[in-house]
Amino acid sequence: MTAPSPAAEQTTAWVPPTWDEVVREHADRVYRLAFRLAGNRADAEDLTQETFVRVFKSLAQYAPGTFEGWLHRITTNLFLDMVRRRQRIRFDALPEDAGDRLAGSDPGPEQAYDELHLDPEIQAALDALPPDFRVAVVLCDLEQLSYEEIAATLGIKVGTVRSRIHRGRVLLRQALAHRAPGVRPAEPALEAAAT
Amino acid sequence: MKPQHLSDEAVAAFADGFLSGHARERAARHLNDCAECRLAVKEQREAAAVLRTAPAPALPTNLMDRLRTLPMTTPLPAPPMEAIGPDGSAVLSTFAPMAAFAPTQSGTRSRGRTYLTAAVLAGVTGALVAGGAALSAEDDASTPAVRPVHHVQSGPAGPAGSATLAPVNVFHGGVRP
Repeated sequence: MTAPSPAAEQTTAWVPPTWDEVVREHADRVYRLAFRLAGNRADAEDLTQETFVRVFKSLAQYAPGTFEGWLHRITTNLFLDMVRRRQRIRFDALPEDAGDRLAGSDPGPEQAYDELHLDPEIQAALDALPPDFRVAVVLCDLEQLSYEEIAATLGIKVGTVRSRIHRGRVLLRQALAHRAPGVRPAEPALEAAAT
Repeated sequence: MKPQHLSDEAVAAFADGFLSGHARERAARHLNDCAECRLAVKEQREAAAVLRTAPAPALPTNLMDRLRTLPMTTPLPAPPMEAIGPDGSAVLSTFAPMAAFAPTQSGTRSRGRTYLTAAVLAGVTGALVAGGAALSAEDDASTPAVRPVHHVQSGPAGPAGSATLAPVNVFHGGVRP
């Protein structure tokens, strides 16, 4: 937090983050958010890349604040834009088409990882939520933002955030109702073993 | 006598621990007596827990590579001259706000421009000339654009700061008339 030194030689004391560092520090988080919102890898890659393009282009205008908040705002707005655009052109999702636009997005080891580790039912339940509810729930429960932060990110009132989160979770729970009875089963096997 | 149920908003906020003061006390009192609202709170927490414990998708490595080379394929909208730092590095000033730096003063800007021309360009020009074709093909062709920048990265040039970004900013803004 030193003041900018007029003498160029003295700036060696302060090392600014390089683009590489910015990417390494935030890419995981942005991609995770994008994936949860978009529900598939191709769109998540698209959103992540576009988010960083925006960041790169507007770094000079970046006003001090949390970098994370900025990234959340860009990513969610890009997602909501994408949703609206697709609703306009009679939404007929073509993940393959999106994939084609991404150079070098051949399935790699991560694809296998995704398939093994992502719970498709949870993602499907998220995907079934109306986008506005999905954004609120994802920002709250996955990104762990406060209601105020979510309100600021989306430009809506805190009361609206609360009701969207509430409704989103109710819908999520209904979508997952066919799973084990209750989200946290009573583990009868464990109880039996304990006695 | 019949207590009013908690609103949906209050249920969510209570479940997340975002109620405070009187609102929280009132809600807690009501929850003591109301099984229905207790269940609603429980279900909110369960739904949240499902998401929180869901494994995170892994960042594809090829996407990571694309992000890292973004500066080499992304034209900047405005001349970066507006954001030249005191040491002349576009990158320093570009990132300066992140580090809570004061915005560049106009005085230092002109100094910076001089520095940019003298030092950055001098350091970078060799590499750019080597990959001269890249300048004309800078729009979206990633391959040619990458080549000269690699030269720069490995070269001794560049101001203190990032050798990765400075040449790129020069590339898309500074060199342009």
